[in-house]
Amino acid sequence: MIVRVENLHKSFRHTDALRGLSLSVPEGSAYALIGANGAGKTTTIKVLMNIIRPSRGSVTVLGVDSRRLAPRELEQIGYVSENQEMPARMTVGEYVSYLRPFYARWDRALEREILGQLRLPLERRIGALSHGMRLKLALACALPFKPKLLVLDEPFSGLDPLVRDEFMERLLRQAGDMTVLISSHELADIEGAITHVGFIDRGRLLFEESMDGLAERVREVRVTLEHDAAVPSRVPENWLQMTAAGNVVTFVDTKFRDESLMGRVSGLFTGIKHIDVQPLALRSIFTTLARAERDRGV
Amino acid sequence: MTPIRFALRPGKPIVEQVIFAVQRALLSGEYRPGQAFPSIRTLAAELKIHPNTAHKVVQRLIQERWLEAHPGIGTVVAELPRARAGDRQRLLQEQVEQLVVEGRRVGVRLQDIVEAVSREWSKIDQAREANES
Repeated sequence: MIVRVENLHKSFRHTDALRGLSLSVPEGSAYALIGANGAGKTTTIKVLMNIIRPSRGSVTVLGVDSRRLAPRELEQIGYVSENQEMPARMTVGEYVSYLRPFYARWDRALEREILGQLRLPLERRIGALSHGMRLKLALACALPFKPKLLVLDEPFSGLDPLVRDEFMERLLRQAGDMTVLISSHELADIEGAITHVGFIDRGRLLFEESMDGLAERVREVRVTLEHDAAVPSRVPENWLQMTAAGNVVTFVDTKFRDESLMGRVSGLFTGIKHIDVQPLALRSIFTTLARAERDRGV
Repeated sequence: MTPIRFALRPGKPIVEQVIFAVQRALLSGEYRPGQAFPSIRTLAAELKIHPNTAHKVVQRLIQERWLEAHPGIGTVVAELPRARAGDRQRLLQEQVEQLVVEGRRVGVRLQDIVEAVSREWSKIDQAREANES
């Protein structure tokens, strides 16, 4: 694991931003940390980057306690945030030249390629850049030293689709060689580009999983009966959101296996006319699992 | 830009979806045998998929002989792979049976299915013609 967080708590003066969050980012993965605004994404990332200190819990990044991150590790970590602080009076070119000597592995050919592809104006002052340009610059500064870990905090918010595309293309060209941790409140734009996903809600991680695993194990099942249907008093733990309407029962099976479904359904219902199994859009998988976890946690 | 068309659908691993999209492009003559196939990085960037996914896609297509790996040169499009014994039967019996049963359940007419099939069929023909000229 390139990032491991266990039972992380972070309290600010009046609020508990993180309440026992745990997550693990496997090496080489592209891990999306998804959650609503205020769920704790940015706080988590700031703890990982040692910008703020945890109140409690253990956090390791590249095998080192986040509070002890030293230049040796920081040289291998790229960080891009929505509100990145950059010197407004420097030009793009000056800033890149300023950063270069901090990194032993900085690759100048790669730097030129990236600046060109992202069409960044070298002569312009950073203070005069648009929001999209600033984010592209932040990315352009985080990639030429080929980091082992790239951390992106809400990189896509407020980007127009064209810039988002440029940003994503650049990112994916290098993604295989590094681990990427990306936070976002929207999954739609990145779902194809990531390998793992974690869902954060009110300071806790509700679940984390590989994208392939998630796509294969969750199905919506509709059972049509010959008679009026009712929700049985006991249903398997992994059948969620069961509802009955007329002669149809609907539920979400979160441990779907084709071979065993028929047997389990006929154990609970009589007079089955047919069973219809459909995959769920990722967004629905999320809301279903998140709601179930939240109910369990309360 | 790649001629590979691909939009994510729920429920199927991304690898499978991209493999299908590539096979479709190859059958449509978007690439000719012997032509270079895009590198993993290009494929990933253009299809907006993770390079690990792109890598798996290319590996599988090499295994199934749609592509050939030439060390030092890269990946090249192969001649269309021959169907294996049983492929034809699997398609004409099992897969058609599934289609028919599902069609009956949904309540479409035979004619609707036939029309839909021939529409898809001619899409590939048209793409091929366009690519040959």
